Amino acid sequence: MFQEKDFARLIQRTLLAGVFLSLFLLFAGLGLSIAGSPAGTGLLRAGVLALLLTPAARVVMLIYGYWRSGEKYFALASFVVLALLLVSLLV
Amino acid sequence: MPELSLLNFSALLGFGACIGLLGSALGVGGGIFMVPFLVLALKVPIHQAVAASLAAIVATSSAVAAVNVERGLANIRLGITLEVTTAIGSIAGALLANRLPGSAVQLLFGLTLLPVSVLMFLKGRRSLEARPAAGAAVKASAFDSAFFDPAAGGHTPYAVKNMAPASAISFFAGSLSGLLGIGGGVVQVPVMNLLCGVPMKAAAATSNFIIGVSAAASAYVYFRKGLMPLELTAVIVVGVLIGSFVGIYALYRLRSEKLQMAFSALTLLVAVKMLLKAF
Repeated sequence: MFQEKDFARLIQRTLLAGVFLSLFLLFAGLGLSIAGSPAGTGLLRAGVLALLLTPAARVVMLIYGYWRSGEKYFALASFVVLALLLVSLLV
Repeated sequence: MPELSLLNFSALLGFGACIGLLGSALGVGGGIFMVPFLVLALKVPIHQAVAASLAAIVATSSAVAAVNVERGLANIRLGITLEVTTAIGSIAGALLANRLPGSAVQLLFGLTLLPVSVLMFLKGRRSLEARPAAGAAVKASAFDSAFFDPAAGGHTPYAVKNMAPASAISFFAGSLSGLLGIGGGVVQVPVMNLLCGVPMKAAAATSNFIIGVSAAASAYVYFRKGLMPLELTAVIVVGVLIGSFVGIYALYRLRSEKLQMAFSALTLLVAVKMLLKAF
């Protein structure tokens, strides 16, 4: 059974994974940029993108969690939010 | 764009840490201070300042929400429902912002800050004077929740009301995010606290949860248009994350009412500065 605590832990781990991945890329990118390497910009871009995609990853986990718990209304609301995030990526 | 000198680097890192520290306790992303700081102190063009600020809001929201969700402080059901209209508003705001001149955005920012300042002052004073009665007889809904408040030393159950008007106002909060680079937390927290009846701490935590999505929705638009200043954003984000992680633990047990009063005075100061610059 998928319980409230498992759900909270899933959301927490998703958010922390995104934040720490982004931090790692940003640190590496900043270091390379200061050293004058052209690879720094790419890493910085990847770090910012990883950060900006973290809330979207969290929304994906909400869809999964609410779907598994049988709370279809909240799964649908989460899906709408994800769709809106995709729209903002494309506009 | 300013040169990323050692002085600017330290200023950005330190300011970011302060914003993260304050934002983690009050449920606001700190964009309300970040944008004026970048524009007025570092001479960053307003649209780039807004883009960097939005990324910083995503950082503080993600870091703080990770802890608040686990603690049960953030009301996820309430958050995801308000996120629907907030995200629509933030996309509309970001699209409109790119069509507006910088001075118009500054003017709008200054005008927005004035009522926010009064609202924060009144809310802080009211909270100091009296605490609302918990557990009032309200029809149970799926949004009702409870959390453990270390300051009160007990379990705090609460009922959520007025979801329809709260969703409508969330659209406005979202559009502020896209237009001005603020997370919209300064609107979301009072809406949840005063309109929905959510206790202050849960409102702040839920607001922090919401603003990550609204800021990300707006930030994608800026990122795609190449308006995100990468190095500057990276330094701010690192600072904000340091402040957020410290703030989660350092400020968690403090009463937020007095902080809110100080925040109100600072907001007023920034509003006057931005209005002076716009004119």
